[in-house]
Amino acid sequence: MSVVFDRFLFAFTIASHIVLVTMSIALILLIFFLEYRYLTKKEEIIKDLIKRLKKVFIVSFGIGTASGVVVAVELINLFPGFMTLVSETGVIAIFYAEVFAFFLETILLMIYVYFDGVFKWKYTNIVLSFFVSVGTITSGILITMVNAWMNSPNGFDITSYKDNGIVTGVNPWAPFLTSTTIPEELHVIITTIFTGMMIIASYFVYKYLQSNNEKEKSAYKYVIKISSWINIITILLAGITGSNEISTTLQQQPLKYAAFELNTNPGKALPEILFGTYSNGKVVNGIPIPGLQGFLAQMSTGDTYLPGLSQYPSSEWPPLYVHLTFDSMVVGGVLLGLLLFMIFIYNLMKKDFLKNKFIAYLQIIAGPIALIVYELGWVTDEVGRVPWIVYNVLTIQQAANNSSGVYLPGYFIIAFYIVLIPSTFYIFSRIFNAKPIKEVNKP
Amino acid sequence: MNYVFYIDFAIFSIFATLILTEIMGSILLLLLWNDSKKVVLEYVVPIWEITGTFAVFWVVLSDFAFPSILIPLASIFSAGLLIFLILFVARNASISFAEFFEKKGWLDEKKLYYGYALSSILLGLVVLVIVSTIIGGYGLNLSNYTFNFFSFASNISPWLFILGSLVTAIGFAPIFYNIDKMKKMSMIFVFIGVLISMAFIFIQEKGIPREVLIPLVLTIALPILYNIPQTRNVASNKAFFIAYLSITLFSLNFLVYPTAFGKLSVDSLTTNGTMANAYIIMTLTGLVLLAILLALYTSAVKKSASVLNKIQE
Repeated sequence: MSVVFDRFLFAFTIASHIVLVTMSIALILLIFFLEYRYLTKKEEIIKDLIKRLKKVFIVSFGIGTASGVVVAVELINLFPGFMTLVSETGVIAIFYAEVFAFFLETILLMIYVYFDGVFKWKYTNIVLSFFVSVGTITSGILITMVNAWMNSPNGFDITSYKDNGIVTGVNPWAPFLTSTTIPEELHVIITTIFTGMMIIASYFVYKYLQSNNEKEKSAYKYVIKISSWINIITILLAGITGSNEISTTLQQQPLKYAAFELNTNPGKALPEILFGTYSNGKVVNGIPIPGLQGFLAQMSTGDTYLPGLSQYPSSEWPPLYVHLTFDSMVVGGVLLGLLLFMIFIYNLMKKDFLKNKFIAYLQIIAGPIALIVYELGWVTDEVGRVPWIVYNVLTIQQAANNSSGVYLPGYFIIAFYIVLIPSTFYIFSRIFNAKPIKEVNKP
Repeated sequence: MNYVFYIDFAIFSIFATLILTEIMGSILLLLLWNDSKKVVLEYVVPIWEITGTFAVFWVVLSDFAFPSILIPLASIFSAGLLIFLILFVARNASISFAEFFEKKGWLDEKKLYYGYALSSILLGLVVLVIVSTIIGGYGLNLSNYTFNFFSFASNISPWLFILGSLVTAIGFAPIFYNIDKMKKMSMIFVFIGVLISMAFIFIQEKGIPREVLIPLVLTIALPILYNIPQTRNVASNKAFFIAYLSITLFSLNFLVYPTAFGKLSVDSLTTNGTMANAYIIMTLTGLVLLAILLALYTSAVKKSASVLNKIQE
């Protein structure tokens, strides 16, 4: 029972933490673009917007750091077997590299926020915001490397470890680049930026529609313009990298792939089954699209051999609801893509999509939807690896802390996040709106 | 020579120094809000995240350095870690909200900074409890990886360690924050703190080892330097103080090397082979990056007239 609780608790924590991470990455990128705008156009309104967003970012960073520490300590407490393997292999070196990315981000952020104007070089702010972004994104890249290693472990003698549980033949650098690292990195970083930017776009469209102040509206419009273009580019890249990611899964983790697609039996020219559930060896209530699966998996028709669940003992199958989360993620992504395609057409025709209230309102609800889609993506990837915590090496059962002592701290952490996330967003809003632009600009 | 241990202890010394400077500031904020607010916040507000990052640095470095002890430690200190987490989150949340939060109802900047100060002091206490256990193994049962607080509390040694550290920190506070009217009190507190700490070392080491001479001289010298008008500015210079205190704490490494937890050989716990090489290569590379970043930060501090004014714009 406590293993189920360990899994639930960690999933809950990381799902909450992800919200702060996506916000932080998108916010600092937005600030960087605004710094570029201010450097070239010297508009006071942009300067003011940067000041307000910097304050929001510092709070997001402070809370995100604390939350990150909670996640790290949870990993040790909930999955001690996993962390033992991590600290005896080169994976700990990835965590260690993360510390230095974190220093890059922290120290430059402190200079950027608290010592604004101290350095007279005119490029100071844009350079600092750039390197803070580099630190933030590098942190994301490094932690994704750990996840890629969990999907395709390397850097030690796996056979020997499985036989006697002792780590030998360690190559400390190997986990930095596994067979799944590049596809996963590309997809995760792009979708993280996309999700954060969609939330930002939603908020600013809402603020734009709410405001009666022309100065404010023009500043918000600029943010909406930047975020919309980033969203259009990243949704396109998310599709391409997502397709690449699924091809990698097909090659590296065929059982996981079979569960994603709910293939009961292996074969060629299998249909793409939209939704549906598995019952008594059959898929029920699904919508089959003949021949599409091979095309989506490897951009080829007919001749791609696709794996099926029946090739593996059912004890090794992941929970098959990953098919539903996978399909929901893809459908959600496609719908968001359609919305962004409409915005792209407006941009192309040099028309203002904000004048179309329907599209504007759709953009407002698209932010939370993007976050749900992003979370579904992570659920699909992580649940798809069950029963393994490190694929084909270490099961969750072997790695978990079976002590009932995890319950009390666990309940505390759940309560903590339930309070933390909404109050953080409330504080964001209060800080951002503390001084409206019209007041700040008064001499 | 066990480089892996010494690197880890050096980073611990810097982290402990940074957290001590925040604890000193927190004590002043709680006791003398009006007199100390400006000087303390000028230092604390831009550095609290760097202290937090050093905490993470030391924890990850220790995971890397001592892989076999990681899980037992997590089990031994599970309650301590939970309390640490709560306080760490409370500290981060209260100070980051305090910086920008505008008064709403009963909640204002002062209360949030008080929250920060209290959680920082308590956080320091948790660290001191853990460190005293690492030194002496008080309350530890290494056969089943448990920690018994009552057994810990029944020993006088860890209390002497905690009390000695806190009293010395109170004595250092006026030096670091340059509060002139407390300069005499600073000397008295440091001397009392040193006496208590010496009692701890006497019990722990069953005598006074000669290695204690360096930290003893360094600790006593600081308030003396502060009380001499010609050297006051040097003693209260923040960069100097941090470097000085880090070196002083580093010189206490004999308390945990070669034996930690009362009876475990540190050499038998440290990583070796290719992992040790990777540890050293990454640490040296990372420290070069860190040195550049800290040089930039120090330069910004020197150039800045008043950080608080910038924040409150």
